[in-house]
Amino acid sequence: MICVPRGALFDETVDCLERVGLDVAPLRDLGRRLVVDAADDVRYITTRPSDVATFVEAGAADIGIAGTDVLREAQPDVYELLDLKFGACRMIYATVAGEDPTPSVLEHLGAVRVATKYPNAARAYFARTGRVCEVVKVNGSVELAPLVGLAHGIIDLTATGRTLIENGLVERDEVYQSSARLIANRVSHQVKATIIDPLVARFAEAVS
Amino acid sequence: MNGDDLARLPEGARDVLPVERSELTALERSLRTSFASFGYLEVRTPLLEFAHEMDRAQDGGVGRAFRLFDDHGRVLVLRPDLTIPVTRLVASRFADHDGPVRVSYVGARLRPALPGKAQPVEEQQAGAELVGLSGPAADAEIVALLIHAVRAVGIADLHVAIGHVGLTQAVLAGLGVPDDAVASLQAAALTRDLAGWREIAQRLDLDAPSRDLLAELPTRRGGKDLVQQIAAQVPASAQCCDELCATLDLLGTHGVDDAVMVDLGVLRDWGYYSGIVFEISAPGVPRPIGAGGRYDSLGARFGVDRPAVGGGVWLDGLHQAVNARVQAPTFREGVVLAGGLDSDIALAVRLRAAGVAVVAAPTGTDAEALATIDRWRYVVTPASGALTVLDRSTGERVESSDVAEVIKSRA
Repeated sequence: MICVPRGALFDETVDCLERVGLDVAPLRDLGRRLVVDAADDVRYITTRPSDVATFVEAGAADIGIAGTDVLREAQPDVYELLDLKFGACRMIYATVAGEDPTPSVLEHLGAVRVATKYPNAARAYFARTGRVCEVVKVNGSVELAPLVGLAHGIIDLTATGRTLIENGLVERDEVYQSSARLIANRVSHQVKATIIDPLVARFAEAVS
Repeated sequence: MNGDDLARLPEGARDVLPVERSELTALERSLRTSFASFGYLEVRTPLLEFAHEMDRAQDGGVGRAFRLFDDHGRVLVLRPDLTIPVTRLVASRFADHDGPVRVSYVGARLRPALPGKAQPVEEQQAGAELVGLSGPAADAEIVALLIHAVRAVGIADLHVAIGHVGLTQAVLAGLGVPDDAVASLQAAALTRDLAGWREIAQRLDLDAPSRDLLAELPTRRGGKDLVQQIAAQVPASAQCCDELCATLDLLGTHGVDDAVMVDLGVLRDWGYYSGIVFEISAPGVPRPIGAGGRYDSLGARFGVDRPAVGGGVWLDGLHQAVNARVQAPTFREGVVLAGGLDSDIALAVRLRAAGVAVVAAPTGTDAEALATIDRWRYVVTPASGALTVLDRSTGERVESSDVAEVIKSRA
């Protein structure tokens, strides 16, 4: 049972699974189905990227592919087996173009208001840099927040930086780098060791 | 009743209803029997402990715990762990016991829930500690005891993954890994981030074979061959490797080696364990159902420096694993006696004396309805001199004056 993220990582995940030598035909022809069975006895379940870790942690899937961003945010109790080296993007702190308002906001207000889908990442980043932030949790269109005065800045994931530029935002700092990871349920990793270990070796070979 | 009325418990706390409670009781009984069969004596430590006593166990304190003040303003904790109080107990109350001391326990540990995680606050745990013996024979006894105990409750298909903190530390020292890198590797191991471990290893200034050995160390799994291979590659780890091999041999003699695998990624908490560490898993339960290891330095923190090895199982996980296999019986063995509460107390007394469980219903109420809702097997109704016994499992009605005999013949 493999949990595959829908959305941005999906195509690269399927390519990776194909390079590993798994039958990905049903994933290529997914349609609206959420669960598909492949000819090689692998069952794929597809979920939102942020839910992959949840499904694997709960044992609903033995292994899965999840971004570092999801793993850092949810801190699931799973094995992080391998960096799959695709889906590379960066978690960044950005504010509106021009002079960075952050120092002045901190001086006058004490705390920066930050809009993000990743509240834990935001808190950890500001704590690490010795500053205080007030997190505004949003679920989409994060870039909008500083433009309309909802927040002073954003913590968000970016691959090319194009959305930032198009919205007149400038990256001020990198929080961390993210890529796709192969994760495994703690018990599946033990109980299905004879299946998982050779499979992980094939993954390692495919991404090297 | 609406949803708000049901949510009267703190986050992570839960009630246990009769069916589950009886199943858990049966598990506890079986575990106690297993521990006793190895000569482990059961103890109980209090739910309340001084925070400063528990904090002695680890640099930086015990971490997550419910804390409160006593009437002198001293900080107390609701015991967040069972090994630490049992170690305190053995160090203080068995201080002049020449050893080895073998103790077991069944009890709850309480830890505040982590935000956003559906984790129980109160976890029932049963375990055994062997204090005063070092070496492979003691390690093997604890592992064999727990395997025996888990198998005795009906879980044949269990997997025990054994790692060795001392071995891993010896390999790191033998390869010359600097202290700051050891700390980062330890942090990665604690969160099972094998990808992160690999990245740290690959950044180190080591020769290529050493770097590869280090990078893949926590992914290595197998049997004695693997351990001997590591000993050959890193001579500094040879002593730990020999010990682990001896433990594996002894587990074979105990007849439990089919459940055991060496997994050098099982390291748990380095600040606490010093030798073998293990995790017990069963199919169908997403988290390990048991864990343990050797923690030789813990006793000294409580004033008596004695080696110790121990481990335990979590009852909820064990219950989940057992429940995946067993069908609960439909009926409870017992009688609902109409009038047993008032007009027929004498009959109730006679039946109980004969070993029959009797639920007393008031005269004139519907005894069968009560039997249905609580799933009792028999309903006894006095009717004009004789007694009617209804066996709900078959639907038969029998007239008899000797109810106990009827029930015994059907058991």
